[in-house]
This record gives sequence, structure tokens and C-alpha cells, in this order.
Amino acid sequence: MSELRKVNIDGVEYEMPGHLTLMQACETAGAEIPRFCYHERLSVAGNCRMCLVEWEGAPKPMASCAMSLNDLRPNRDGSPANIRTNSATVKKAREGVMEFLLINHPLDCPICDQGGECDLQDQALGYGRSETRFEEDKRAVEEKNMGPLVKTNMTRCIQCTRCVRFISEVAGVEELGLINRGEGAEITTYLQANLTSELSGNVIDLCPVGALTSRPYAYNARSWELRKTESIDVMDAVGSAIRVDARGAEVMRILPRLNEDINEEWISDKTRFVWDGLKRQRLDKPFIRENGRLRGASWNEALMVIAERLKGDPSRIGAIAGDLADIESVKALKDLMESLGVRSMDCRQDGAAIGGQAREGYLFNSGIAGIDEADAILLIGVNPRVDAPIINARIRKAWLENNAEIGLIGAAVELTYPYTNLGNQPADLNELTSKRNPFVRAMAKAKKPMIIIGMDALTRTDGAQILRAAGLLAAKWKLVREDWNGFNVLHNAAGRVGALDVGFLPRQDGLNTRQMLDAAKKNDLDTLFLLGADEIELSEIDDTFVIYQGSHGDAGAHRADVILPGVAYTEKSTTYANTEGRWQQTRAAVGPKGEAKEDWKILRALSDNLGRVLPYDDIAALRASITAPKTSKFDPAKLGKAGKITNTALAPNPNSFWFSNPIARASETMSRCASSQSAQLEAAE
Amino acid sequence: MEFLFDTATPLGWFIVKTLVILGFVVVLLISLAFLLLADRKIWAAVQMRRGPNVVGAFGLLQSFADFLKFVLKEAVIPAGVDKPIYALAPVLTLVTAFIVWAAIPVAPGWVIADLNVGILYVLAISSLGVYGVILGGWASNSKYAFLGALRSAAQMVSYEIPIGLVFVTVILLSGSLNLTVIVEAQAGGFWHWNALALSPITLVMFPMMVIFFIAALAETNRPPFDLPEAEAELVAGYQVEYSSTFYLLFMIGEYLNIVLMCAMIAILFLGGWHAPFDFAPFTWIPPVLWLAIKIGFAFFMFAMVKALVPRYRYDQLMRLGWKVFLPLCLGAVVLVAAWVTFAQGGG
Amino acid sequence: MNRVLQFIRSLFLIEFIKAFGLGLRYFFKAKATLNYPFEKGPLSPRFRGEHALRRYPNGEERCIACKLCEAVCPAQAITIEAEPRDDGSRRTTRYDIDMTKCIFCGLCEEACPVDAIVEGPNFEYATETREELFYDKQKLLDNGDRWEREIAKNLELDAPYR
Repeated sequence: MSELRKVNIDGVEYEMPGHLTLMQACETAGAEIPRFCYHERLSVAGNCRMCLVEWEGAPKPMASCAMSLNDLRPNRDGSPANIRTNSATVKKAREGVMEFLLINHPLDCPICDQGGECDLQDQALGYGRSETRFEEDKRAVEEKNMGPLVKTNMTRCIQCTRCVRFISEVAGVEELGLINRGEGAEITTYLQANLTSELSGNVIDLCPVGALTSRPYAYNARSWELRKTESIDVMDAVGSAIRVDARGAEVMRILPRLNEDINEEWISDKTRFVWDGLKRQRLDKPFIRENGRLRGASWNEALMVIAERLKGDPSRIGAIAGDLADIESVKALKDLMESLGVRSMDCRQDGAAIGGQAREGYLFNSGIAGIDEADAILLIGVNPRVDAPIINARIRKAWLENNAEIGLIGAAVELTYPYTNLGNQPADLNELTSKRNPFVRAMAKAKKPMIIIGMDALTRTDGAQILRAAGLLAAKWKLVREDWNGFNVLHNAAGRVGALDVGFLPRQDGLNTRQMLDAAKKNDLDTLFLLGADEIELSEIDDTFVIYQGSHGDAGAHRADVILPGVAYTEKSTTYANTEGRWQQTRAAVGPKGEAKEDWKILRALSDNLGRVLPYDDIAALRASITAPKTSKFDPAKLGKAGKITNTALAPNPNSFWFSNPIARASETMSRCASSQSAQLEAAE
Repeated sequence: MEFLFDTATPLGWFIVKTLVILGFVVVLLISLAFLLLADRKIWAAVQMRRGPNVVGAFGLLQSFADFLKFVLKEAVIPAGVDKPIYALAPVLTLVTAFIVWAAIPVAPGWVIADLNVGILYVLAISSLGVYGVILGGWASNSKYAFLGALRSAAQMVSYEIPIGLVFVTVILLSGSLNLTVIVEAQAGGFWHWNALALSPITLVMFPMMVIFFIAALAETNRPPFDLPEAEAELVAGYQVEYSSTFYLLFMIGEYLNIVLMCAMIAILFLGGWHAPFDFAPFTWIPPVLWLAIKIGFAFFMFAMVKALVPRYRYDQLMRLGWKVFLPLCLGAVVLVAAWVTFAQGGG
Repeated sequence: MNRVLQFIRSLFLIEFIKAFGLGLRYFFKAKATLNYPFEKGPLSPRFRGEHALRRYPNGEERCIACKLCEAVCPAQAITIEAEPRDDGSRRTTRYDIDMTKCIFCGLCEEACPVDAIVEGPNFEYATETREELFYDKQKLLDNGDRWEREIAKNLELDAPYR
């Protein structure tokens, strides 16, 4: 396959692997090839004809995306084939193609949201004629409904079919297609139904023209007005690389950034469209509850009230870190609590049975890129489509390319690849010993088998026991080897791994989340400090003094007695660890809202008021005080706790994909997605 | 009622004098308004412009509109100024400019204070005017204002010397320090006027009038010697931080000084209120009008110079004052003294 | 010799007397200036005066919020915000020109694909306060309505040269 072939590109001779396409070869040689339909992560379609190059001796120019070096014949004298990427023929051919493309393109760039970042616009600059020769009427195509996220303008479509190929190949839902032919050709959705993929937003990036654009972003801004900040996503534990585009003090949109090890160049719809949640329900000044009502207060006042409270009996104080807490603020909170002598602190607000043991016990050890190599995957109590759509796409890729066997223990859900359902009782784990089970045989035979255990299993009261059972299986199948670690925990909270890494866990005799909440219900806890913890049951807590620090007015702020306004992930430069344990930094794209402050600064100020000054004055000093997590010898068999697994079925996460965190819950786009999804489900029934 | 206006009683004297002074001030201010307009109109005419022509017929009321504008504008007092001195400076300029006029005779017997040393009084009080400039520039706490004030002080002090020496020549000729006496000494037709007399000494006195005119330009900071407020370098010199009424006071003071200098030219060299020919119909015109006409002529020259001559460089200005005017005036004093002693047989 | 001549010339103020004569001659010459508020000079169709936002003859505003004028404005005097109108068309919700920043270069006019923003023939729009010079969309549209006849005429006259 990778036999080297000689080729002469623009007069220079190269030797390149034969499986490269002509386009790849030309790009390697430094020539720029225009294209519309070709995309390196999608199958080759070869229908836009923009990438034509000249093969000397051939009667017609060649579509370079669809031709491999292996297809080239040497010249008669045996010298390598001559390829021209910039000859007059090539230019004329591309100009012809461009003229055809523009025949039916409406040229409404001034009102098109793609204007300024449009491939067609850019390439028309190089290959377009300044005047049209087309005198007939242009065609018009009806708009298609693709749901609340993707706005269509099908008249602008040039039928490159990138969207069709993405939706069917990467997203794995065959809901887009090209119908009719010739002038009647058009892209359409299946029966005009919304796209159901969680990755549907990526077609907006893929579309080389303005046919598919972002509906929430429609007409809001122009690409050239936006301030681009490279950052990290926190909507799930994948830590996708994103670019936050802001204008003034507002985030206008979020786009993916290339990171081959994590998200390639896709992001989930929640990541992409959550930005309107950053503008609503924001906490912009400190609040204090007086006579049952919250009233605005000054920072000093709020910090004084809290300091008074925290001076009480440390055994009756608790702290819970939420899902979006960054490593720096968790570390600051931990240091503050330790200096007060508080022993009850926990970062697992959902009660997941992880942490406190070897670091590998709560990481996605194979790495996200490692999924590509896997050939057998067992999913335990996880719906990757909801918890991490990007990882789901990777698993689909493993299935497509490696023909990976996939098994699932958990509720039967619709995934984008076929899988074997091995039961929905966690106890079924113990059944996976029989050699007669074909999946077990595949697992045992596989070169790189994987177990992915999710929060649906670990957050149960018997989570520790399920973890032990999974660990035993991993040990049995020898998943943890020198060159491969197939034991994986898939998190759904961006801040969890980081908080576990800095050890925000109950000290000796300290209470964990569940125990803290129970104690609070029984009035055994005086003060509860919530660092952005919203997904906990607070309604039955009466007398406990609740301090909430976070960015959004959600469940935590609703119950809180004092609210400290923190910032959201687009407003701070802090560190998060993704589910692989990869530490990455967000960058502030905009400033804090109102009087809000960065979280670690709030805690530092609070420590001042308490007279227990934290020993760092800036973020660099704070980071320097954080020690890298230790890796030790990892034995999966020792994970969790031995014990009996209860006999209840694994239930899917009650939090809908669209509402998994306070930012998403504040977003109108997310609720529109959720309601259109449920409407479509009802209609289907 | 009549006792109120009886000048023999102190009260009556006070009331009458006050009314006279008030009337004088009002007449002076109103004529100033039109002179200001004339200044702008002449300047415009030489440049083939129209000048102010919208407010009132031919723009006659322009100065009153400007007056209202200045008074109604917000008085911006910059931070960092020395407030009492800042406010005092324009008042000082205005007051000194007004009180000089007390010794100026405008017609036979028409003078507020007929001082025996009137000319000395004029010299003394007009020298005080420089304080307004210096204090204003100093109190403004600004580089431009400060530099403008420095230049102004040096300039005004320098040119007071030739002015004083010119005064000496006139005093020598007239034999008196009383301005009324000086005017009366020139009675009887323009061939008796100091600058135009049919006598060899005119060869000295006419140039003395020209020197006085030029020195007056410098003394009043008029172009071509407007270095203290050279807008190209110092924006507006010592006035740069002033606005509204404060600025108005400065401006009135400045123009009053100009008119005063014009009046001095008329009184010292052009026979004051005397008609150029001492027979009818010239004598029908009242003396005060003759003085006004002569002042007007001198002012016209002031305005024309502003329109014609480009600004001097500072070193040229100093050179002119010290190296040209001073020796010339000293020589003139000697010549006039010699003339008075030997030709007229006086002294 | 020259220095002696120069000395005599300056001693007798020859230059000044000459200049005075010249000044007097000009003094009585006809004025070169217009009697401005009552007389006005001719304006080119390309004159760049006060801005206006135009409408189509059916009353629909022309501006489509493409933001090209905002992008091209060298003084950054234009601020535009846009969103879909109820009928789904692309329209501005805010179109502000800071006339105190504007340098009247006319690039906004050049950039506009629909001839919506134009610099009309009006140059007499002095205001008493600075705030009145921060034009908003309504003010600009009103300007467009007021000056439409002149603007349309000017565009027509200039069209052959574009």
C-alpha cells in the first residue's frame, strides 16, 4: 500500500507513498489545491471538480481528490508522470467549474452569514469571472427544516454533499440525502424531520457556502468583527478544543478547533450552541438572603457574613464542588477548608464511587484517540451519545474502520453503531465469563479490548461494587498491559477529574456528598459551601446555611443564603482535566459579568476575611502550589469495594443531554432543542 | 434735588463725578464695540473677505452678540489653577485699562482728572497692565500660558523705554506734564501739531510719532508683535486657559489699551481735539469729534498693520526694541533738548 | 551698496508703505467670498455631506445589515447590530454613526451593495450639543426621507462614471 511512487509536481520530482491522493501529494509538495467537496475526514465524492489538476499527456484535467498516485502511469520514456497545478489549462478548467457553480448561486453574500468566511467567496476571488454570461433565470430551492440549530438556505447550495457524508459517516444517522439530478438536485432531510444527531452543528462548519448556517447565530455578527479566543469546552468531560468568538463583552459563537487527540475537528451541539446560556440567568453581584428574600449586597458584606459562619465548628461545615469547577478554584477551596479544619468535602456531587484509589481508576486510560485502535469495546452503564458525543463518534469510527465488536450492559439505547446488548442488570457483569457468549470470545481474542464504565453505573449506591466487578473483568481479560490500558471511566462532568486530581475528597472521618446532604436534612450540618454544585437535592435542607458560589442562578443559588458571583468558563483562564486526565487550559474570551470575580480570587479574598490567608496572590503562584497527580502501579482488580450488587436495572442519566449543567439550563437554544426533540419523538409515536 | 448735583458740596461732587465716570465708561465701551467690529471688517476687507455681516445691518451688532456669547458661556476653570490669582488677573487688566482714561482730556475741560503730571500717570498705570498678563499666565498652571506671560512681560518692559523717551521729547517741546497743556500747546492748525509742525524739529518729531506707533503695537501685543499670544506656537499665550467672561475681561482690557495708545498718538502728536485748520467750517465740528476722528485714524493704522505685516520672531522683536528704538529715542531726546535750549531759547 | 540700500529702505519704512498701498487697493476691491447664508456655491453630485439611510420606493429600508460599511469605516464611526426581523429578513436593530468621529471619506457609500447608506448633499446640520451628533437609525432614515430626491438625482448623475 505505502509503496513509494515517483511523481513530478510542477517540475519538481518527488517520491511519495502510493496511496496518497493526487491532492495530498500536491499539498505535500506545497501547491494549493482549491476544493469544495473534498474533506480529509469524509469519504471522497469527487463531484465539485474544483480540484482539477493537469496530468501531462492525459486528454482532460483530473479531479485530484479522487485519483491516487498508484493510478498514475509513468510517461512513455519511463520518467515519472508530470502533474501541473498552476498551468493555463488548470486555471481555465477551474474557471469553467467556478462559472458553472456560480450559475445557480444567488450571490447574496451581503446577507449571507457565511460572508467573510466562505470558501466559494474566497475561491471566486481567484477563479471567478467578473461578469456573468448566464442570461436565464437562476434556480431557487425550497428551504428545508433541519431543526432549531441549522438554518438552511438551499438556493446557495452547490451540492458538494459534505453534509450528507458527515451525517451518515461520522454522525451515523442517515438523515440527509441528495435527491433528483441535474438542475433539480437538492439536499434534503428525511421526511423534513429535524436532524437528531448531537453532532449536527458540524455541518455548518463543513458547508463551504452559506447553505447551512447557524440558526441561533443568524445575522448576529460578521466573522471579521469577532475576537477569537482559543479555549477548552466544559460541557462534557471530553475537553474539546474550541474557539470562542466574542464581540465586545458577549460571546457570539463557539467553533471547534483541531485537536487530533481529542475531538479531531468536531464538537457536539451542546458545546457549539450553549453560548446563549452565558448571557442569561447570570449572577452579577453578591446576594444575601434576608427574611427569606435575596437582596443585592456588596462583596465586603457578603464575605463578612460568610467568614462569620465559617468560623464555627469545622466538623459541622461541609463543602461540595460542582461539575464545572476548575482545578485552581477547587484547590483554593480545598486549602481554605483544610486551614479551617473542615473534613467534609467532596467533588462527586452525583455520589460516584470513584477517587481515593489509584488515579487510573477514574481515568479514560486508553485515551480518546486510543478508541480508534480498539477492536472490542464493552460499555457499562454508559450512553456515550449523551455523555460524550465526540467519544461516541470515535467508537463509531472504531466500528467502521476496525470492525470493532461493541457490547453494552445498561439500558438499551439507540447508538450510532450496532452493539450486542448484554443485559441491563449490573449483576450481568458477573455473567460475562461464559466462553459460549460470542462477545466474551471477541473480547478475549481482541488485541486492544476496552471497557468503558460510565456514571450511570458508578453513581448508584452500589457503584463501588460495580466498579469492583468491572475491574475484575478487566483483570481477567488482561486489559491493563504494558502497551495498552483498556480500563476506562467515562465522566460526564468537566471538573470532576481535575477535582479528584487535587484530592477534593472527604478527609479522615469526613462526610461525602450523600452523607453531607443527609446530615443537613437532620440539621447536623451548620454550613454548606457549594462551589457551583447545582445537581444535588437541596429542597429538604432547612436550617443549614448554604453558601453558593457560581456563575448561574440555578438550583444552588435558588436555595442559597449567600451567593458569591463567579464566572463561567469563557470568562476565566483556568485549568480543567478531561476524562483522560489531560490537563488543559481555558482562556478568557470576555470579562466577568457585573461584579463577578474569578472563583479562586473570591476564595482568596474570603481567606483574607477569615484571617487564614491562602499563600498565593496570583494565578501563577496558585498553579505552582498544585502538585501533579501521582501515578502508581495500577491493578484494576483492586478497584472499588467487594460486596453485593443490588438487583435493580441500570437507569439512564435523568439529566437530559441538553440540560446537564447550569449554563445549558440557562440556554434558550438548548431548551428549543429539547422541546423540538420531544415533539418529534411524540410525532413519531 | 439740585443740591445733589452741586459740585461745591462733597456729596454733590461725588455724585456728579460718579455720573461723569459712568457716562465716560459707557461711551468708551460702546465705541469699543464698534472699533472691534471695525478691526475685523478692515482685516477682512484687505483679504477680500466680507467679515461679520449677519448680526444687524452690515454686522454692526456683531460685537454685542459676541459679548452675549462670552457672558453666557460656561466658565471653565481648569483643575490646578491658582483660583484667586486666576480670577484677579483679567480684572486687573480691565481696571488698569479703564483708570488710565481718567487723565485723558477729550475736549477743552472735558477730563475726569486734570492732573499736572497726567503723562506720568498714564505711563505709570499702563505699566501696571503687565501684571494682568503675568498673573494670568502664572496662575493658569499651563506651559503655554506661562511661556506667553514670560514673553509678554519682557516685551512690554522693553517697549516701555522707547515710549517713555518719546514722551520726554513731547514734554520737552510742550514744557509740561499736563496733557491738557500739551494739547493746548498745539493749537492753531495742523502746522502747529507736534508731528507736523512747520519747523525743523518736525524732522525729529515725525519719526518719534512713528516710533511711538510701533512701540505702541508692541506694548499692546498687537500684530506683528503678538508673540505672547502667538497662536501658531502658544495657542493663545497667557489667555489659553481662560474662557467666558474672564476671557472677555482680558479682551476688553486689551482693546482699551489699544484705543488708549491711539488717543495718546492723537494727543501728543496730532493736536488732540484741535481742528486741522482753525477756521470755519472746520471749527464748527466739536473738538471731541475731532479727537475721535484722529483716534479712529490711528486705529485704522493699527488694523491695517495687523492685516499687512507678518509676525516678528522673538529675537527680532528684542533687537528692534533695544538696538534700534532705544538709541534713536535717546538721540531724539538730545536733539529736542538742544532745539529747545538753543533755538527756542527756553530752559 | 546693497546693505546701504536695505538700511535706507528699512529706515524709511519703504516696504511698509508699499504694502499699505497694496492693502488699500485690495481694501476697495470686490469681495471674493460668497455671502454664505444667503448665497451658496454649487455642489458636485459626489459631494459627501450628512449621512442618510435610503428606502426603496415601497418604503422598505434598503439596509440589509451586511456590515461592510462598518468594516470599511476607517474612523470606526459606524456601529451596527443585526438580527432576523419577524419576517425572517436580515435587518439592523441598530445603526449608529458617530458624526463626531466620521471623517466623511465616503467609503461607507462605496462599500454599500444596495446604496442604502449615502452621504447626501446636506452640510448644514450643526447642533447645539455633542449628543445630537450621535446619529441613530431613525435619524438616518429620516434624513433619507428628507433628502431622497436630491440623493437619487445625484446618484443618477454620477452613475455613468462608476
